[in-house]
Amino acid sequence: MKYRLLGILALGLLGSLGMAQKILVFGSNGEPASLESGNITDGISIYAQRQIYDTLVDFKPGSTDPQAGLAVSWFASPDGKTWTFRLRQGVKFHDGTDFDANAVVFNVNRWWDPKDPSRISGGSNYEIWGELFGGYKGEKGSFLASVSAVDKYTVRFTFNNPVPYFPVAIGSGYFGIASPAAIKAAGAKYGTAAGGAVGTGPFKVKEWRPGDRLILEKNTNYWKKGSPKSDGVVFRFIKDPAARLAELKAGSIDFTTDIPPANLKDLQSDRNLRAVFRPSFNVGYLALNPSHKPLSDVRVRQAIAMAINKKEIVKAFWGDLGVTNGHFLPGSFKTYYSPKVTDYEYNPAKAKQLLAEAGYPNGFDLELWYMPVSRPYFPTPKEIAEAMGADLSAIGIRVKFQTKDWATYLNDRRNPPGFQAYMLGWTGDYGDPSNFFDPHFASPISDLFDSAGNKLDIKELNSVLAKAASSSNQAERVKLYQQADEITFNLALRIPIVHSQPLVAQRANISGWVPSPLGSESFEDIVKR
Amino acid sequence: MWAYTARRLLGIIPVLFGISLLVFLFLHLIPGDPAVVMLGERAEPERIAALREKLGLERPLWEQYLFFVGNLLQGDLGTSIFNQLTVKEQLARRWPATFELAIAATLFAVIIGIPFGILAAIRKNSLIDNLATSFSLLGVSLPVFWLGLLLVYLFAVNLQWLPAGGRLSIDVDALFKPITGFYVLDALFQPQTFWDVAKHLILPAITLGTIPLAILTRITRSAMLEVLSQDYVRTARAKGLSERVVIWRHAFKNALLPVVTIIGLQFGTLLGGAILTETIFSWPGIGSWIYEGILNRDYPVVQGGVIFVALVFVVVNLVVDLSYALLDPRIQYR
Repeated sequence: MKYRLLGILALGLLGSLGMAQKILVFGSNGEPASLESGNITDGISIYAQRQIYDTLVDFKPGSTDPQAGLAVSWFASPDGKTWTFRLRQGVKFHDGTDFDANAVVFNVNRWWDPKDPSRISGGSNYEIWGELFGGYKGEKGSFLASVSAVDKYTVRFTFNNPVPYFPVAIGSGYFGIASPAAIKAAGAKYGTAAGGAVGTGPFKVKEWRPGDRLILEKNTNYWKKGSPKSDGVVFRFIKDPAARLAELKAGSIDFTTDIPPANLKDLQSDRNLRAVFRPSFNVGYLALNPSHKPLSDVRVRQAIAMAINKKEIVKAFWGDLGVTNGHFLPGSFKTYYSPKVTDYEYNPAKAKQLLAEAGYPNGFDLELWYMPVSRPYFPTPKEIAEAMGADLSAIGIRVKFQTKDWATYLNDRRNPPGFQAYMLGWTGDYGDPSNFFDPHFASPISDLFDSAGNKLDIKELNSVLAKAASSSNQAERVKLYQQADEITFNLALRIPIVHSQPLVAQRANISGWVPSPLGSESFEDIVKR
Repeated sequence: MWAYTARRLLGIIPVLFGISLLVFLFLHLIPGDPAVVMLGERAEPERIAALREKLGLERPLWEQYLFFVGNLLQGDLGTSIFNQLTVKEQLARRWPATFELAIAATLFAVIIGIPFGILAAIRKNSLIDNLATSFSLLGVSLPVFWLGLLLVYLFAVNLQWLPAGGRLSIDVDALFKPITGFYVLDALFQPQTFWDVAKHLILPAITLGTIPLAILTRITRSAMLEVLSQDYVRTARAKGLSERVVIWRHAFKNALLPVVTIIGLQFGTLLGGAILTETIFSWPGIGSWIYEGILNRDYPVVQGGVIFVALVFVVVNLVVDLSYALLDPRIQYR
């Protein structure tokens, strides 16, 4: 009893302390895999890293438009093969060391050069660099030829081909600039709970308790004056969406992401909560693998596109949080939409007729694979698959539903001959259409196969995409990507079902949170009343 | 008794070997590849192959097992392939959280379940007996996940009496110094945090303790009924002893044997079965850790975690067996 009384007294004291300290509590939908920049692809890690690190190029809040970050300006050489970045001066890492051109070169070499001594063995593989920039140092496909410090605050990248979108790509959340001194000191432990992480960002790592929370405190020397506006952020790892929503309602977390669309009404009816919509930057699609006989016929694939009532499905599963329009690119890339592409109209009769023309008047058997996990682009994959299956059965296609655990699913879809039809999606990394088209359609396509079981190679599309990716002429790029829009639409290899707006939520006493379409944003401007 | 204890302790070794083999085999039977999980959804097949090579996954299974057991014998549980922390280090952080929760859940079950069961037995066919019987039926069939969320919505969201998850409030966390990792214990030295720590334990303990509570109520009730029908109880009553003495000194002590067994067994199950509760309440314990490990195909984590739980289970069983001697002098150990 004595303790309890003491406790109450102390809590009162704490309450007043709590008023002085403004700590934001973020309901993270899982635990970061690593805080080492350039070495992760999962959204949870990027979210945490975004608070600790700055990138060379930043983005205007809520958009994919670039703005100055650690670099104040950048320009390309006339042939488009060289990008020069002028760096911000007087910036310090959390450990007190200076941020300069050498630090940038150090980081880039670590990501790009497999032989770099600062590379950490073990689980580190830096695969995102290879994916976004054609490979690593010494490899044939590598976009980058060299990186060097011109002077203390200027860095130059030289490429084998023009890479017009390089600034936005290097600005993506993967490539936070870390302190070379800290990396050298921590060695293989850098980025783990044991080794910490050191950047120039608005918050610095105080403690990472595995399985529980990541505690970040204010960087009082942040180069942006008056920022961050709160004293710290605690990432609490709460994997279950229902538990996360309950904690938000109970007030033990202030804001969170990945709320199922079905909870929208729930949020809107609670005075203490606000539903927030992240701008759409994803696509959920149905992939049709032409290695399977009926699907090798484009008429069959188009019939499927016509038979699925996408508008109704989107209305049923996303409500106002999704659009379907036939384009593979999300709405933020409207400029690249071809005016010739209007979605296949929902028309079972015409679809049936197409099937008959292709030689399948009585339909065929189809294995449809649905994802075992929920993603913003497919929050309830099984139910959505069943809705599509019902539409397909109306034109005589007998659907058998299949799934596997997530890791195997991802793996098996690209083991020849791959799944017949499967659901998957994509959320963009940076604001350039190449990031959507290339991983899905450029040669060699990673997970679609031809009838012989070889990787599918669509020559016309490949040449359009290659030209577009390396063109520095914006008007020409628009034309080429519109062409890619038409080609992919007509091929119907991946039928875009939805561009969804991920739903996030906050308590009413939080302001200044502007979710980025790119999936993660800095918490520096968030204020808790 | 010492010889018996020593023999039982030695017996743990083959049991653990068996478990290590089973865990290893089952884990490698699950489809899925740690390399794919680690490299993410978009990795190239060549890169996956290279990582598999590095992780030693390309070697024959028996070689991998021998390697694992060899390390185990040297006390090395390995390193998580997912986050590079040693399994030992993570285990040390997490087991106190799960233990604390399991102990609290067991206490909850014992403190309510035993008196409830006794009362039901004494007043057979009364209202309280019916209540106990139907509750024990309901209790075991309640889905843990549903119960947990229900409690959260009632006590945390609507009434706002108790926190919805975690082990500490954010502002208390800044002052709290973990010493042993058992927060309730640690909070005794930091009294201003005690109520906050205790508050966070209540809902998860009730959630986790409900099934054992139901089982315990039922076992206590039937054990008591059995004992109460024995001759010596009748004799005791005939001697004119007060009902309180009859029940507590004569009947209860003898009914305790099966009850202790169940408590021991339940405690073991709680350790392993805490996964759902830990998930609902974002409780950083072993259950959620092993669960994540399975999802990530993090072989060292799952192997180390399961072997640890198994070891505890075996030890708890041993303690239960030994405690029999204290309760029933007729039991002898050879």
